[in-house]
Amino acid sequence: MPIRPKDAIKSALSDPALREALTANAARRKAARARAYSTLPEPWEVMRERAAEVRAAVLANWDEVFQRFVENARRNGYHIHLVTTAKEARQEALRIVSVEARRLGKESLLIAKSKSMVSEEIGLNKALEAAGHRVVETDLGEYIIQLRGERPAHIITPAVHLRRQDVGRTFHEKLGVPYTEDVAEMTATARRVLRDVFLRADVGVSGANFGIAETGGICIVTNEGNGRMVTTLPRVHIALMGAERLVRDMHDLALMLELLPRSATGQQLTVYVSLLNGPRRAGEDAPEERHLIIVDDGRRRMASTPLVDGLRCIRCGACLNACPVFREIGGHAYLGVHGTPTPYPGPIGLVVSPALFGADEFGSMAQLCTLCGACAEACPVEVPLPELILRVRAGYAPPSPPRPGEPLPPPRSKPAPGVPWHLRFFLSVYSRVASVPALYKIAQRLAAPVMRAAAPLTPVPFLWGARSKPVPPEPVPTPQAPPEPQKPAAQEQKRSRGLVEGFAAALQALGGEVRRCSAAELPECVLAELRNRGATAVCAWADDELPAGLAKALRAAGVRFTQNCAEAAVGITGALAGIAASGTVVVTAAAGKPLRVSLLPKAHFAVLPESKLVADLESALALPELKQTSTAVLISGPSRTADIEMTLTIGVHGPEEVVVFLVSG
Amino acid sequence: MPIANLFPTCLADTFRKRIVEATAEVLRRAGAEVRFPKGLTCCGQPAFNAGMRREARRMAEHTIRTLERYEGAVVLPAGSCAAMIRNNYAELFADDAEWRRRADALAARTYEFSEYLVDVLGVTDLGVHFPYRITYHPSCHMLRALGVDRQPRALLYALHGAVFVELPDADECCGFGGVFTAEQPEISRSMLERKVANIAKTGADVCVTADPSCLLHIQGGLNRAGVRTRMMHIAEVLAFHPTT
Repeated sequence: MPIRPKDAIKSALSDPALREALTANAARRKAARARAYSTLPEPWEVMRERAAEVRAAVLANWDEVFQRFVENARRNGYHIHLVTTAKEARQEALRIVSVEARRLGKESLLIAKSKSMVSEEIGLNKALEAAGHRVVETDLGEYIIQLRGERPAHIITPAVHLRRQDVGRTFHEKLGVPYTEDVAEMTATARRVLRDVFLRADVGVSGANFGIAETGGICIVTNEGNGRMVTTLPRVHIALMGAERLVRDMHDLALMLELLPRSATGQQLTVYVSLLNGPRRAGEDAPEERHLIIVDDGRRRMASTPLVDGLRCIRCGACLNACPVFREIGGHAYLGVHGTPTPYPGPIGLVVSPALFGADEFGSMAQLCTLCGACAEACPVEVPLPELILRVRAGYAPPSPPRPGEPLPPPRSKPAPGVPWHLRFFLSVYSRVASVPALYKIAQRLAAPVMRAAAPLTPVPFLWGARSKPVPPEPVPTPQAPPEPQKPAAQEQKRSRGLVEGFAAALQALGGEVRRCSAAELPECVLAELRNRGATAVCAWADDELPAGLAKALRAAGVRFTQNCAEAAVGITGALAGIAASGTVVVTAAAGKPLRVSLLPKAHFAVLPESKLVADLESALALPELKQTSTAVLISGPSRTADIEMTLTIGVHGPEEVVVFLVSG
Repeated sequence: MPIANLFPTCLADTFRKRIVEATAEVLRRAGAEVRFPKGLTCCGQPAFNAGMRREARRMAEHTIRTLERYEGAVVLPAGSCAAMIRNNYAELFADDAEWRRRADALAARTYEFSEYLVDVLGVTDLGVHFPYRITYHPSCHMLRALGVDRQPRALLYALHGAVFVELPDADECCGFGGVFTAEQPEISRSMLERKVANIAKTGADVCVTADPSCLLHIQGGLNRAGVRTRMMHIAEVLAFHPTT
């Protein structure tokens, strides 16, 4: 039974716990975003203007960029599936899964899935489950709402509407663990249950934050490590990507990555940035098959309407966090006129939902906006949201869902969707009256007293206010204090620090550790940290991929090397590079450099020569090695989540400790 | 003498005439020659915001035609109406070159009241004695659509005898949103409650704003909540005589 939008709004407004959760979300996200912007390499206005240009340029040359991306991705070995509708997308995913099921001789496959809004959009889980497969959401927030049979309430923090007590009860009921309100304990439960899923999953499904035309690779940003798991461990990886989520090259990607995490969660960089160029190459431990389903589902049609700028969106969720209406009602109250849910709530959802899925159902959502402009102010790609929302209201969104063979540009919907007839009638009469001043004068004389008199009977505060006389208040004794002057926010002076100091400070701020030692001291340095943790078994890169003599010295000291990373307490890797600005270690897949070494053990030790430090993300992404591997990962500190009540918990699916040995000389 | 054509705007003119009178008074005192163009009604924003562009256009054309008969600046005591003319008329007439030209010409000489005082007339201190604890609600359209924030603040900081207190979360919407408040009264009220609570926190005698729509909406909320703070338009404050 679909819920009427009005009822959903009423029930959201009358839920004090939800209001508290949404208020806390807005306040903390806003503060975190402001803090994160202060660490940008250039002023925010400058960077977002450039980011808007980058995205607009892609849309202006969409066919060309798209072709280049698809060609390069195919050359890398991706199986590319171009689909125009949600139904085709489901069928295509199902077909890939069925082929793998036949290959394995199984009826039902275990599918581990990381967060993907496109999968919500196309209804993938339901389709896979209907075909007899088991789909497990592995992002903590998504996992919680999957257990509860709910929909995401936010595009970034799907369980934003729940309190720890709700999650505790859900875990108790569905997983049979004792009830707890301890967030770390709940996270540990999810880690334990899902670890088994990761290791056994036949297919991994993920979204894609960006497709890079230059390299033909995709980029995925995650924090918990589940995104790395599902794109590394299963033999088959299926990624879903909206057809518009492209950037031209690594230079543009660097800019996007400076803005996306800051806007989404207030992080300088997400813990993991995975660059997935293609399936595994000889000796690597990445998936044998990588499929990319590129979903149009109304996007090209949207590009032919005046709502095209909405396609710049990079799904950071900043507009949701900034929106005062979203803060009142939360994501679940954004429904079509017949109660159809949309995966895209909040300001961007008011534009994208009708533009993609049709205004007959979703046009009325555009009324959930006061046109205050806080969304546009927060948007890292300058989507002019109020203007676009006004265009949806004016009927510029197509009326129905996309159909193959539909002409471009599509027909327009009826204006003022969702405005009740009496308001429409009033505005229509008003517009005529206001065009005849004499008539207007009469109406005005009548309106004021009538509306003032009616005020107490209406729920409209404006009219209550209109009853007040503009009487100045009683004078108070003249205070002597002068007005407080406004101080412009002091521009934070950026101290230039050495790369080594910068790297260490940034990593430590993320909860990671840095040990500095000379090449000669390195084995002793590593041994000391192993002893500290009581670790006897490690999994590591191949001996000759580690600094000379390290493996030998560790073995001589009695350290056991195992191939099974899942049971090793510590994984030891080298690194391609380190990024000083964000405390990031860059690793790439290659023979002798398994990805799982930096992923499965509880602690990740990375050995990084100081000479491999670079200043910033852009310099790191320019490294040619990143294009010569199936998979590259940027790791910034231990895995983390804040999906339950926004309580930061370190150590989810990826390592809970990251120790970087900075080797001098 | 600079000419200021005063556009009273429908809400102020209908529900709080004092704002219009005060605006004229302050403009005169600041050295402008104030004119009242005959036949002005509504800029068309309510219909435009509802998505009824044909109706909005009817009102916009009337507004443009009426003001074309008058030389000089057009001054509005309402940030959101000024934003409509300055930002949204261009969109409304995007497909009509001739009307677009006329709309642009009007937009180029249109000012919000405090902006006109500070940026055009170069006035900040009008010598007004206002012995109250005050705070300022920067309406969304002033702040984000027009980018006018420095000017009203300069005028308020220059008041004599006033204590200015910053409003917590000042940049947040009060929940009016034009048609929104009639369409979604529950959400609108819920947003208003937050604004009212923030105003109450300041302990201000007067909360100043430059948009009549926010003013009436918030005043309604203050009345219902029993908060004694009064909403005043910035023109009403600048026209204030302690003795009257």
